[in-house]
Amino acid sequence: MEKRLICLGVCITVTAFILAFALIYTGIVPLAPTGNRPLATIFLESTFNAEKWWIWAGSPEVVTSILWDYRGIDTVYETTVFFLAIIGAITVVRTMKLLPETSGKGRGLTVIAKTITKITFATIPIIAFSIAVHGHLTPGGGFQAGSAFAVAPLLVIAALSLRLLVERGWGKERLLALRTTGLILIGIIAIIVPILAILRHSIAYIMQNQAKLWAPAGLSAVVDLLGVKSLLSGTLFWLNLSEFLAVSAGLSLVFVLLAAPTKNFDKEVKTQ
Amino acid sequence: MIKDIVWIYYYASLILITFMSIYGIAVRPNLLKKIIMLSILSDTANMLAVLLGYHILSPKPPVYPGGTFSTTQFPSQEQLSTFAKYAVDPIPQVLVVTAIVIGLAVLVFLSFVAVLIYRRYGTLDMRVVSKKARHEVK
Repeated sequence: MEKRLICLGVCITVTAFILAFALIYTGIVPLAPTGNRPLATIFLESTFNAEKWWIWAGSPEVVTSILWDYRGIDTVYETTVFFLAIIGAITVVRTMKLLPETSGKGRGLTVIAKTITKITFATIPIIAFSIAVHGHLTPGGGFQAGSAFAVAPLLVIAALSLRLLVERGWGKERLLALRTTGLILIGIIAIIVPILAILRHSIAYIMQNQAKLWAPAGLSAVVDLLGVKSLLSGTLFWLNLSEFLAVSAGLSLVFVLLAAPTKNFDKEVKTQ
Repeated sequence: MIKDIVWIYYYASLILITFMSIYGIAVRPNLLKKIIMLSILSDTANMLAVLLGYHILSPKPPVYPGGTFSTTQFPSQEQLSTFAKYAVDPIPQVLVVTAIVIGLAVLVFLSFVAVLIYRRYGTLDMRVVSKKARHEVK
């Protein structure tokens, strides 16, 4: 058994090195490249280029631009896949009660841990919201902000209790409703530019952000917001906010479900 | 020459981790270990994608610097060309952002299934589970 494992390890290592050597010397992967590929250069140069207004996205953040503008429909379907995975997880435990029978009051971690958790429970959502709002300006966006936000309920479950979280309104139904609201908002923003185009008797694509030469409808990148000219990059800002809502509620829901007591889970499985 | 060896080492270690995680998924009988290996596999794929987008000419993030809500002056073509020269490839990062969230969703679903299987059969050993399941069908 030992000999077999050692032999396997040596074989795998040698194969890995041979494959890496082959990949580099057949030119499939670059060896210490000093520049970008042409496609990357096109994206980097055109995303924030107001002179080429027909292919720009109006945002200095190239990653968000590709995610929500150039490859927008891809991301919408990807969000749908995420939604379906969560729906699948909920279907497994659809009639389960979340709350344990005992409250568990007086037990748990120390006062220090609980106090720190209370403070971070207030600050994490603020930071996550800031990441989402600046998603079209700095690295970040809806996905990252949602993932950061979901740490807050996870901390509360670990340090305080699931009962506290559920009784303060973080129940299954409400989180699922928020999750669905986020997805519906993304859908609405996806078709808002085509609707505007139809009203103006022109054409536009689904998930279009800025105006194109052949489809001259679009939300403008700089918007007059309460008398202040703000760079919102058209639909990107709103899509980031909706995605933040969807991902944060979805991940919180998953954590709440996974933290449900095993007794209730046993009952659920037996009834199935 | 040393530079070549370092880059071969990067790719070889990633390929090695890929092989090891595939070994874990295929050979290990424990479902939990299979799930852990699956997440390692997806992380390795993401790492490979990010490495493909890297270049060694003073790499910067693919974000045009200095953008705020009050930015109304857009950069010129020359400034953007300089930026495009030093920023790393954004496309692998986009793919990784989506792949991470999808991977998380798959991980969540698999862990729910694993919990269910454990509750139903009392074990995560797939040999025992398949034997018991076959017995049940009969």
